[in-house]
Amino acid sequence: MNVITCVRLAKRFGRTVAVNDLDLEVGAGQVYGFLGPNGAGKTTTIRMLLGLITPSAGQIRLLDRPMPDPAAVRLTGSMIEEPAFYPWLTGKQNLQVSAWTGGGHAEGEIIRVLDATGLSDVADRKVRAYSQGMRQRLGLAAAMLGRPPLLIIDEPTNGLDPPGIRDIRGLLGELAADGTTVFMSSHLLAEVEQICSRVAVIVKGRLVEEGPPARLGTARRRVRVRVRPADAESASHLLNRWPLRIETPAAAEPLPHPHSTEFVVEHDSGRDVNGVLATGGVIAESVTIEMPRLEDRFMEIVTEDAHVVAAGG
Amino acid sequence: MLWLLAAEFRKIVRPLVWGTALAIVAFCLLITWGAAHNAHAALASPRIPDVCAQAATAQCRLVIAHAHAMTRAAALATSALAQPGEVGQVAAGMLASLPGLLLIAMIAGGHWGGEWGSRTIRQLLCREGRRGRVLLAKWLSIWLAAVGTLVACYLVLAVAGPLIAASAHLPAARAGLFAGLGSSLATAGRATIVLALFAAIGTAAGTIGRGQLATMAITAGSMLLALLVAGIASVGRLSPASFVQAWMGFGPVGYLPTNFWSRFIGSGPSLGQLAGLIGIAGSAAVVAAIARWRFAADVTT
Repeated sequence: MNVITCVRLAKRFGRTVAVNDLDLEVGAGQVYGFLGPNGAGKTTTIRMLLGLITPSAGQIRLLDRPMPDPAAVRLTGSMIEEPAFYPWLTGKQNLQVSAWTGGGHAEGEIIRVLDATGLSDVADRKVRAYSQGMRQRLGLAAAMLGRPPLLIIDEPTNGLDPPGIRDIRGLLGELAADGTTVFMSSHLLAEVEQICSRVAVIVKGRLVEEGPPARLGTARRRVRVRVRPADAESASHLLNRWPLRIETPAAAEPLPHPHSTEFVVEHDSGRDVNGVLATGGVIAESVTIEMPRLEDRFMEIVTEDAHVVAAGG
Repeated sequence: MLWLLAAEFRKIVRPLVWGTALAIVAFCLLITWGAAHNAHAALASPRIPDVCAQAATAQCRLVIAHAHAMTRAAALATSALAQPGEVGQVAAGMLASLPGLLLIAMIAGGHWGGEWGSRTIRQLLCREGRRGRVLLAKWLSIWLAAVGTLVACYLVLAVAGPLIAASAHLPAARAGLFAGLGSSLATAGRATIVLALFAAIGTAAGTIGRGQLATMAITAGSMLLALLVAGIASVGRLSPASFVQAWMGFGPVGYLPTNFWSRFIGSGPSLGQLAGLIGIAGSAAVVAAIARWRFAADVTT
């Protein structure tokens, strides 16, 4: 079952098209990453999902209910951008206000989310005295109130230090393991890669890629080869003569190193690269396979799309 | 709805709101204290025309006796108005006029406009997406905060009024302490209707201004504009300020003012009390429709 379905979703602000013909399907139990550069339309999409903004065109189904439906939104835990609170209230009181606004929750539920986000010790402190990281955790705590089946969160690790990021990653993992669907946008692609089972990339309001993080884009694995400086010229000659190198002549680049020279070749197999060198009598000192990071693939998609837009425009 | 109201009441108990409410109560106390001392000063030296200051003619003796009688009557009226039974007229009149309007502008600005300024509106609407309910809860909480201030003001004046009158050496009121209580309560009841209109204006202002200062300015500014319009002979009777004037029946004020409203309104033919109530209800309906329409717009903060 899909918990989020968008069909040809669009939003225009005057002449500006913020979201354009967006089709999206998020299945139950997934941790779904929603990526895109600044101004791509991520937050506008999230606001439309939560009923804060009315779409100009298209349909949304949230938790299998056609939007707009306040009941579906109430069943969804959410945190949009930097969470905001009432600074004259304590963290616990802010959660109470949040719970009461949504129809009330037992006191135990507030204690549970405070524990889960590590805020129990500062729960009775006024929010104005909270650090940004604490506010971020409190935002997540508010979103988790009532164990919603769907969490929609915008930049959940904003302002967190590395231990905080690790904690939130663990927390989101636990939520997913409990069957909660998490739809999150983030700029921390390394985090997204570790947490998300699927990702969508949106550029200029259009969906340009969707799928598991490992299959995104066309960026290939890279082979890092290190040879003795004396063999550098031969190695360069061999690798540049290699058929695959002809297709991407700029991919092999020598990197300075005190005792060896390194080449980075875009190719799936280290064995192939090593074989080419061996046929020319060059013995590699090391051959390392590098998996492309989500960041590389994301940059490739975004850059490629920008080129397409530039060429088209 | 009750949970939503509980959340709104939890939020409205904030320094800005109770600080403003305290300031309004202090203002009422100050007005009462000033009025009592002005009445006492007038009693000690009534205003006598210069021509009679030195003359001892029979006509001047009559003028002087009349001046003494008038100041004594005014002092007695002030003393009576400061008693627990009557002083509700002051509290209700103040809250149903400019001080009440300013109080509501401050509450609406902080409690409602501030939801946009501090971006908490997003969380609020994600928790309760039925925007009509949110508007209703905001209006109710703003209105009840103002009614609470009215009650507090009345209670404080009921205790302090007689002490202030006594400290100013005003003649003792002839009627009992609680004389005029029924009339005071009726005026207070009418004031709650006016406060409901002011709260509706504040609620609508929040949906238009979408910020603390803008909400305050629109709330206060719209009613001040209505007061100005009320002074224009041709259209003044159609102004919400005229409806308030007619409903409250604000009359000329003595040493202790019972409102800050009637002095700004022209002395043309006035509306009846029922017409005032109908006008207030109509104005509130128009304001509610504006609020509903504006609140349906996208929330992009």
